[in-house]
Amino acid sequence: MLSRSRCAYRTLGRSLSAASQANNVLCRQSVSGLTVGSQLVYRNSPPCEFGSSANVPHIRYFKTSTVHREDVVTVKTPAFAESVSEGDVRWDKAVGDSVTEDEVVCEIETDKTSVQVPAPAAGVIEELLVPDGGKVEAGMPLFKLRRGAVSAKAAPSPAAEAPAAAPPPPPPAPAAGPPVAPQAAQVQRVSAIQPAAAAPAAAPLTSAGRGEHRVKMNRMRLRIAQRLKEAQTTCAMLTTFNEVDMSNIQEMRTTHKDAFLKKHSTKLGFMSAFVRAAAHALTEQPAVNAVIDDSTKEIVYRDYVDISVAVATPKGLVVPVIRNVETMNFADIEKTINALGEKARNNELAVEDMDGGTFTISNGGVFGSMFGTPIINPPQSAILGMHGIFDRPVAIGGKVEIRPMMYVALTYDHRLVDGREAVTFLRKIKAVVEDPRMLLLDM
Amino acid sequence: MMSHVRSTLSLGRNRSASIATCSGETALVLLSQSNDVFQNLALEDWIEANVDLRRRGVLLLWRNRPAVVIGRHQNPWAECHLPAMRAAGVPLARRRSGGGTVFHDLGNLNLTFFSSKTAYDRRRNLKVVTEALRRLRPALDVRATDRFDILLNGHFKISGSAARLSRKSSYHHCTLLHSADRSALAEMLRPSCPGIHSNATPSVPSPVTNLLDHAPTLQWEELLDALVHQYNAEFSSSSSSSSITVDPGDEAAFPGVGASAAELCGWDWTFGRTPKFRVETVLQLTDERAAARCSARLQVEVKGGVVESCRLDVPDDWLPPRLSSEVSGVLVGGRFCRHRAAAAITELTRSESGELRSRLKDLGDAVLTVIG
Repeated sequence: MLSRSRCAYRTLGRSLSAASQANNVLCRQSVSGLTVGSQLVYRNSPPCEFGSSANVPHIRYFKTSTVHREDVVTVKTPAFAESVSEGDVRWDKAVGDSVTEDEVVCEIETDKTSVQVPAPAAGVIEELLVPDGGKVEAGMPLFKLRRGAVSAKAAPSPAAEAPAAAPPPPPPAPAAGPPVAPQAAQVQRVSAIQPAAAAPAAAPLTSAGRGEHRVKMNRMRLRIAQRLKEAQTTCAMLTTFNEVDMSNIQEMRTTHKDAFLKKHSTKLGFMSAFVRAAAHALTEQPAVNAVIDDSTKEIVYRDYVDISVAVATPKGLVVPVIRNVETMNFADIEKTINALGEKARNNELAVEDMDGGTFTISNGGVFGSMFGTPIINPPQSAILGMHGIFDRPVAIGGKVEIRPMMYVALTYDHRLVDGREAVTFLRKIKAVVEDPRMLLLDM
Repeated sequence: MMSHVRSTLSLGRNRSASIATCSGETALVLLSQSNDVFQNLALEDWIEANVDLRRRGVLLLWRNRPAVVIGRHQNPWAECHLPAMRAAGVPLARRRSGGGTVFHDLGNLNLTFFSSKTAYDRRRNLKVVTEALRRLRPALDVRATDRFDILLNGHFKISGSAARLSRKSSYHHCTLLHSADRSALAEMLRPSCPGIHSNATPSVPSPVTNLLDHAPTLQWEELLDALVHQYNAEFSSSSSSSSITVDPGDEAAFPGVGASAAELCGWDWTFGRTPKFRVETVLQLTDERAAARCSARLQVEVKGGVVESCRLDVPDDWLPPRLSSEVSGVLVGGRFCRHRAAAAITELTRSESGELRSRLKDLGDAVLTVIG
């Protein structure tokens, strides 16, 4: 998974600089007029029709001006500037990678200079003749390139451009298979049909095809998967729902946000209200803050409330923990959330920032979720799921009014928390968020 | 004082076209108004890709807010102190040219000489610098070496070079230490990860000095003017001091430069491009009460910035073998990055309790210190 995204990323990076080159072989704009989705159009070359294409009259083949037949070419190390004699090779491409003409295959570092070695023609890398970091001299054989067999994998960025070329109807693709194969040797073209001579490592990623792609799960993913399944098997998980009228909290925010920002140098968001409400409810109902220790068959009640807040960062999901929330006010909570967010962005989050927690809050609302059942984050007994705020008509005092409403969900371990406790817990959170004065009155 | 003409590039595509396709023999001198290392590196890429350098060359003058810049094929874990940089807010950038690691700050001037591949001549470029300095302060002994460094008084390095030869053109850039912060330099340019075995390009450390220490009256502007004048004298038919100020953040003038800068500050380029390497080191572990200690061995293989294999040898009485193998297992497949490692280890600590958990956390912290 990682390698595929890196490959796409590199090709995109190169296309970006290639796009501004005058001698552009790969022209990203010209994907019009295609009938088979993953064919590439070379702007500089005339279209060429072959006799056997009469079998499938609606497929056109395009050939580049330089390559005429399939063949293996050995590329030698170029001469170095200023009478430098040797350098170190750093491979950018691997065996089996497809390259276009002029695409950089490797760089040679000689004496503080990085020299690019481009591919002389489009094709697939057959063999690397020098190990990565190995020394080369001018004229030494560097790598072998098999011309012509360009797999569709080579073009993730033009393929991304080609949604305009509608996905081809399935029948022509398989029908084109048999008559087309003999042409593979003569024609430099990209199509949905993979020529047999393509490098073994290439995974044909075609828009019409039906290939598969297997990626081994890494241990971390396996661990998380295992833990989630364990949670499901051990806990008796149930979810109770409620809805929260966000008008008061929104109004509080609008009224006080500037002064808040000025005094505390942090923005006032909604998380602090929910975190504070949850802490209040957890101190009133210690069972929700507790956890069952299955090995000793004991219930562990905790005097402190540590709330894990699930945050989606560009680097992935992190769950930093706010410790001793029962002692914090809204400002403290916002500052802590902010500080943890900064740490995450600066790559400073330590193990103790993410370890533990007695309760989790996850916010699906940032992605637009309306309603959903969160899953408990073991070893805990409950999780609060926040969702998106949407204007809805609700009945207030016998009349219909439009209010900004949020659905909230509490998934809990029924072995420890019974139905009435769970519903009361969620109602407490709702009451506090709808009217924060409840906190002052300790109700 | 020399008179000079500095004009600012106005916005609009027609002006960028004038830079990219301007004909004539006049060499072009550009002055970047940005101090962001990624924007400036992206501007270098843009000029190299878009300006026709066959007839005449371009000189780009730029300087950055504090940053560490490593060469194309270097290993950041071996070259600089990542935690110190993080604490000081100093970013890491990988440039596209070869060579070693440098510390940039506003007292360091960067010069990039763009030319066609046939006109590529580093000695001639450095002559521009040495001649300009000689005219400014004839008493200073400045000389270019075989390794394309410039030495002051035969001993102190005031400039280092790196270059890049691509398909169409070339560039040679060098630093020039006017008034850089030398203590910060020493602080950042030491490795934080112990036990690295790699064939990445190493840096060759040298004693450095600032021009200002030896010529206390040499102003920045004065230095710039002299360099511009000397470059024009050497490379263009007319001898003038004109330069154009450019803004590398201007997408209209330099289409694609923003995306290029974004690529340059991404993890995949900065760290992911590191040649394959191995880390072999010993971790010192203590438990919560610091009553017991032990040593553990860590061996990690990293390719493309991703952990390919990891082996942890922890004494059995300290941590059960299944836990140590869990730790090494959970790191494999992820980036060799503190954030990823911390998240992975937290997954494990969640399921443990008591003394095992605190020992596991300690092991995790030790591993994170190695990663930097």
